[in-house]
Amino acid sequence: MSKIFYDCLIEFGVVEAEIKKATTTPEEREELWKIVDDTIHHKVLAFLLDKLPIQNHSEFLEKFEKAPHDENLFEYLNEKIGENVEELLRQELGNLAYELLGEIKKGSSKAK
Amino acid sequence: MPKYPARTYEDIEKNKIDFSTIRAKLKLKQFEAKENLSSRHPHVLKYLKKKGIDLEKIREHSARILGAGALTGTLLLAPPTGVKSLPSPSEIVDSIKSLKDKKISDAPQKLMVDLMALTLPERPRLLTTEEEKSLEQLFDKLIGVKAKASLEGEHLNINYGYIGAEQHLRRYPGDTIINHKPFLEEGMAPGLGAWGLFAQSKNGLDDNLIETEKWYAVVQTLYLPDWSKRQPYLREWYKYRKVLIVNTKNGNAVVAAIADSGPAAWTGKHFGGSPEVMEYLGGPRYKKGAVVLFFVDDPDNKVPLGPVEYNEINLPEIALVNI
Repeated sequence: MSKIFYDCLIEFGVVEAEIKKATTTPEEREELWKIVDDTIHHKVLAFLLDKLPIQNHSEFLEKFEKAPHDENLFEYLNEKIGENVEELLRQELGNLAYELLGEIKKGSSKAK
Repeated sequence: MPKYPARTYEDIEKNKIDFSTIRAKLKLKQFEAKENLSSRHPHVLKYLKKKGIDLEKIREHSARILGAGALTGTLLLAPPTGVKSLPSPSEIVDSIKSLKDKKISDAPQKLMVDLMALTLPERPRLLTTEEEKSLEQLFDKLIGVKAKASLEGEHLNINYGYIGAEQHLRRYPGDTIINHKPFLEEGMAPGLGAWGLFAQSKNGLDDNLIETEKWYAVVQTLYLPDWSKRQPYLREWYKYRKVLIVNTKNGNAVVAAIADSGPAAWTGKHFGGSPEVMEYLGGPRYKKGAVVLFFVDDPDNKVPLGPVEYNEINLPEIALVNI
């Protein structure tokens, strides 16, 4: 299984549908999927570390490296950040989906 | 300039989204995200690099950790949530035998739903070996299909997850949606499936291939940790591999053939099903739902693709005849 602890918050089905329209081979499709995946990981990590007090960064990274799938990481983050991280992250990911969709749409309108 | 009705190809070209333009746009977003992380938190990438982890390959890293945990029978650091005391295989057989004395409402499918509820965790996750074995027993005794979580040493990254509705796949050059009646609503996928066309021409499309597209499944082969290393073996092994898909909410079961790779990890789904598969699993409005998906152990290729109507199967264990 390949799972990252924040996967349960990501539902970019609409982005996937647009990518399918833009690609003709499975290789093209998977390449774009990987770009989106990579963008998500970098965005999420930056977002979480912006919120997390600096003195907890090393501890969090250690936990993340040992068990990137572990949803208990949210409990750790909620405690250290003092906010509902899942909800904040859900909003951030919603914004990202909107941005990515905008980029794809821009790309498609230029192609017309 | 007038638009000629015959020139429908012009519309296709106009509506076609350009791959390279979109790739460039998405690459730019990826670059921005990377730059943002490395400029704000330079110690993060340094730390991960020291540990030999590339954030781009975090899914592979996760798959390795979870795979190792599954092999040793533990889920590292993360006790699975919703673990229950599982019914043992003998308890399952006893439950099935007790069907003899029950009414129609306790048909195999209802028992299946009840026993799956006992066996499965609340939310989809990697199943333990014990959970997998219990489900294998259930599928064999109740549905009458030998299905395995692990077959010939191959194991999917996940076998209890969410399935989503897919479109029809193009089977041969020139295939159109109108040839896929009666389920036309989902439309035809713009690109080809992961194994390309089913046949090189319409004449090359036999009944077997028609059934394969009709009852096709999508699994995330692209995230298998050894997918790229074990080519071309894995590609051939997974091509049209039969799987048993069971809706955990209503017990509907269908045998499907793997014919595409996906969905992307960031869709909240783990598998895909053709319009026919989805219709049978949950009805016309069923677009996403929890299922168990195991490989069918069918060395002689005797298990047909399509729905498994097991309420009417005469299983020796329970001597049911059309209950």
